[in-house]
Amino acid sequence: MEKEYDQEELDLEVPRYARKTIKRMWDTSKDQHLRLILVLISVVFYTLFSILSPLYSAYLVDFIWDGVKAAAKQGEVFRFTWEHGGKEILILFLLYLITWIFYVIQNFIMAGFAERLNLRLREQIGQKLNRLPLSYFDRHQPGEIISRATNDLDKISEALQTGLLKLFTSVGLVVGSLIMMFRYNLWLTLIFLFFTLLSMVLTSYFSKKTLHSAARRQLCMSRLTSFVEEAYSGRVIVKAFNQEANSSQKMHEAAQAVAESASRAEFLAQAINPAIRFVNRIGQVFIAVFAGKLLIDGLLTVGAVQAFFQYVYQAAEPLTEVSYMINTMQSALASMEHIYKMLDEEEMDPEAESPRKVENARGKVEFRHVRFGYSPDRLLMKDISFTARPGQKIAVVGNTGAGKTTLINLLMRFYEVNDGKILLDDVDTADMTRANLRSNFGMVLQDTWLFGGTIAENIAYGKPEASRKEIITAAKAAHADFFIRTLPRGYDTVLDNEAENISAGQRQLLTIARVMLCSPPVLILDEATSSVDTRTEMEIGEAMKTLMQNRTSFVIAHRLSTIVDADLILVMKDGNIIEQGSHKSLLQADGAYAELYNSQFA
Amino acid sequence: MNIIISFIKPYRAFFVLTLLFVVLDVFGALVIPTITADMINVGVSAGDLGYIVKKGILMVIVTVFAGASALLGSYLSAKLSAKIGQDMRNALYDRALTFSVHDFEQFGTASMITRTLNDVSVVQQAVVWCVTMVLPVPALCVLGIVMAFSIEPSMGAVLAGAVVFVMILTLFISKKAAVIFEKMQHFLDRMNVVLRENITGVRVIRAFNKEKYEKKRMKKSFEDYAEAAIKTNCLFAALDCFTFFIINILIVIILWAGGNRIGGGTMEIGDITALTEYTILILFYLMMAQMVLILLPRAKVCLERIEEVLEHKPEISDGREEDALEDAGEDVAVFQNVTFRFKDADEDTLGGLNFTCRRGQTTAIIGGTGSGKSTIAKLLLRFHDVTGGRVLLNGRDIRTMSQHELREHIAYVPQKAWLFSGTIEENLRHGKEDASEEEMFHGLEVAQAGFVKNLEEGMKAHVAQGGTNFSGGQKQRLAIARALMKKADLYIFDDSFSALDFKTDRALRRALAQETKDAAVLIIAQRINTILNADQIIVLHNGKTAGIGNHKELMESCSVYQEIARSQMKGEEM
Repeated sequence: MEKEYDQEELDLEVPRYARKTIKRMWDTSKDQHLRLILVLISVVFYTLFSILSPLYSAYLVDFIWDGVKAAAKQGEVFRFTWEHGGKEILILFLLYLITWIFYVIQNFIMAGFAERLNLRLREQIGQKLNRLPLSYFDRHQPGEIISRATNDLDKISEALQTGLLKLFTSVGLVVGSLIMMFRYNLWLTLIFLFFTLLSMVLTSYFSKKTLHSAARRQLCMSRLTSFVEEAYSGRVIVKAFNQEANSSQKMHEAAQAVAESASRAEFLAQAINPAIRFVNRIGQVFIAVFAGKLLIDGLLTVGAVQAFFQYVYQAAEPLTEVSYMINTMQSALASMEHIYKMLDEEEMDPEAESPRKVENARGKVEFRHVRFGYSPDRLLMKDISFTARPGQKIAVVGNTGAGKTTLINLLMRFYEVNDGKILLDDVDTADMTRANLRSNFGMVLQDTWLFGGTIAENIAYGKPEASRKEIITAAKAAHADFFIRTLPRGYDTVLDNEAENISAGQRQLLTIARVMLCSPPVLILDEATSSVDTRTEMEIGEAMKTLMQNRTSFVIAHRLSTIVDADLILVMKDGNIIEQGSHKSLLQADGAYAELYNSQFA
Repeated sequence: MNIIISFIKPYRAFFVLTLLFVVLDVFGALVIPTITADMINVGVSAGDLGYIVKKGILMVIVTVFAGASALLGSYLSAKLSAKIGQDMRNALYDRALTFSVHDFEQFGTASMITRTLNDVSVVQQAVVWCVTMVLPVPALCVLGIVMAFSIEPSMGAVLAGAVVFVMILTLFISKKAAVIFEKMQHFLDRMNVVLRENITGVRVIRAFNKEKYEKKRMKKSFEDYAEAAIKTNCLFAALDCFTFFIINILIVIILWAGGNRIGGGTMEIGDITALTEYTILILFYLMMAQMVLILLPRAKVCLERIEEVLEHKPEISDGREEDALEDAGEDVAVFQNVTFRFKDADEDTLGGLNFTCRRGQTTAIIGGTGSGKSTIAKLLLRFHDVTGGRVLLNGRDIRTMSQHELREHIAYVPQKAWLFSGTIEENLRHGKEDASEEEMFHGLEVAQAGFVKNLEEGMKAHVAQGGTNFSGGQKQRLAIARALMKKADLYIFDDSFSALDFKTDRALRRALAQETKDAAVLIIAQRINTILNADQIIVLHNGKTAGIGNHKELMESCSVYQEIARSQMKGEEM
């Protein structure tokens, strides 16, 4: 059952246009350039003082050492006084303090850098979401889009938060430390370089393995995730078919796979540090022994040895972390490219330059030779024409995939027509702004989207200034008032996507109330009552009728009983209108509609 | 908190061993500078290269041991945390399987998923951190201070003072830090919710021209999060800087006081190196421990959420199976004066229900949304337990049998046709594990799911999670076929024909009648057409029986039924 791990899935993400992406990141962070410059200045001073301090402490140690020896020779006791060493200690302290101050400065400035960059990118993503055509949302899973704004950005902030500062300081520290080390002794430095090289090789080997095992854990985890999601959603079936033991076994297997891959990934991630530390320490032992010999030979002072070791520490860490840093930076850049790719996605056509305005439309809607396809090479609608006169009720019927919802999508300009025209009150809708067009429509969809807020807020979504009285009136008209009042907090009940606290039918009633409150000139009901039972539907129907009076309305319905009184029925098939007319005339024509109707009410 | 201990318990030896190795590693880190000091003090001062080399070899040995301990420590801690995570997930899942519908709804599906996956991950991570970064710290502090004491008591005192000072400060910081961190977590969740809403609700948002409003809402959630995240980062930066500062001060004190003591002969020059190293090591570990402690409250919340599930007692438990089966004749399922009320509701969902499903007969239940139709199916399957009266299956109160046995006798098609990811064949086998190919094709045929034959891969065709790659009608037919695989005494169809067109509906019902003639059939429906020919129809209204009889009788006597019929047969016929 277990599939072989797909190599592609395990491959590390590598940026494709690293230079271009870095350049663009620089532009994106332009409001923070001053910040970066300040950090760079601070880094220069920080590294400078970090290099100087060991030098001075070497001097101080030698000072003590010589002082102690000299004092011992004269049989005196060595003691610090202000004149004698105290000043020097104070200077060392000041050196440390200055280094520390720059450390503090750069750390605090950088603490906000990555998140500010992320905020800017998130805002751009947020704005982009508003400008993307609906086809983008059809092509991409919500999870995928959300992951751009969360996971990808998290990766970036993780890499930039500590990585960028480390990158800056490392360069100076490594170069500076190496110069000082060479100045002290060539051979000691070479020993150091040899062992550092060794640990660099080790890190690069390990970090590749780490990333691979992390990817594998991710894979196992995502399998477990989809298993659990599925099993919890279908738990009733599991129980009804007595599959508990089976299902539990599957879970245990998946959990075991996760545990195995996780323990490996976790081990590799943790083991890398002791491994490097091990190599470095062995190197330090060699340096220590060799330095001891140099000391005895009088080629180095005690202070110099001590200073040399401080340089060793300063240079070793950044050097061994190089490959790890390159990896995280690369994956951050790859994430960045995902984000830029999304930000570069094609947007909706711009609004008309001098838009025409239709306020409170009378409600005449006309389709004139409309051609449309979701992709240009595959036309769905070849030639659609019909006219809805003000106040008429237009019903659209047909099988799934016949193009009923597409018709509405075009009317609302969620999609743009390829050819032909759609007119509202004799104005081409393409000449209006989308906002103006849509303000004339009220829509109830099959998909009962509500946001996490109170019931009252949800009903007032289209008219935030509505009073509580208006909200209740709308809810009453939609037959939602009764169930709302039985909820523990009534209209102030917070709808929570997680708690599943109201049923699908009830959600539908709320979306109807939402439109009732706005009272728009044209109504669109796309399977609006599909999850409401027929009796309630009838009751809402009464309210709808009042709402539809003097309003043009488009109704897509499964149950033909709700549309027999329509003024115009459009029968659709494969994207085209194959019949249109009133209920009576269509029945008399004895075509597709008649067949459909008879099959429902035989 | 006890719960984590109970999960660690099976790995007690593991746990102790892990700690031991981690402490050994830390101990090695302390011993090495001590040897270095020795090297300088004795070897260098006396100019004895042999001594230096000897100490060097000792250092290599210690390094090897410490390195090996570190590796073993990380290996064991990784293994330990993975094992604990695995056990927790299994325990959560197995507990979830015993939950009734009501039990499960108290947590909600999304929350149960989070608890089983993310919460366990967080706890797992916390275990690793605690074992490797917090638990060894006391040992490290004590050892380091003792070693400093052995060099020179006053130096030990200085180090001890610094450690106590940092620890006291930690107590103050972590409280504040926990608040900041919690806030960030909250804003992170909020950001995710708002983003998801904006993506899934894009049509509604645009239809209502709410783009600007949503933009503001998103911006607000982004800004809140950024602000909290920056605050958190500053907190960590402050911690880091603070530690750095203390280290600097201690180094200067060591130099100053050390210099005098070297002069006084109570210390040697190499000891300064050792003391400096001890200081850096201890403070570094203290800082890491502090960071972990800041993150721990989050793990604690997750742990509590896990505990909630594990401690939740399922409301439905198996009955004792000792009662012998009595002969119930043709009565398969009997509802005797059944009432049902949801735990937190003020009113009964079902009240005073009496009816019998007989072998060879079709019983139909019809009623509006919220009339309690589906609850009847759930009571039969014991997804809920009755609050009054009793339900009999084959003459026995269903509460006296095991749930497994009960469900053996029932084949169920749910309202929401849910299929599992895999192949069609695998889904059908849920009904009967060892079903032959013919049996499966027969089941599909009866369910009017002949379309499977036309699929390229036939029975092996892939099914996406939830069955989303099939249309609503196809899904329903597959779900029906799955139920038909099972030879049962009672077939329950919970609104299972709603997505079928009327022609298929009719053909299906005809084929079904043949298939289920030796069993009782219970159909829950909204459409009157579906149940026209049922032997008895029970009309539910607000949880009470508004009428029982066949179509004809009800059309004459039952006003609720007439109303339903009218609502569906509007048009010329009525």
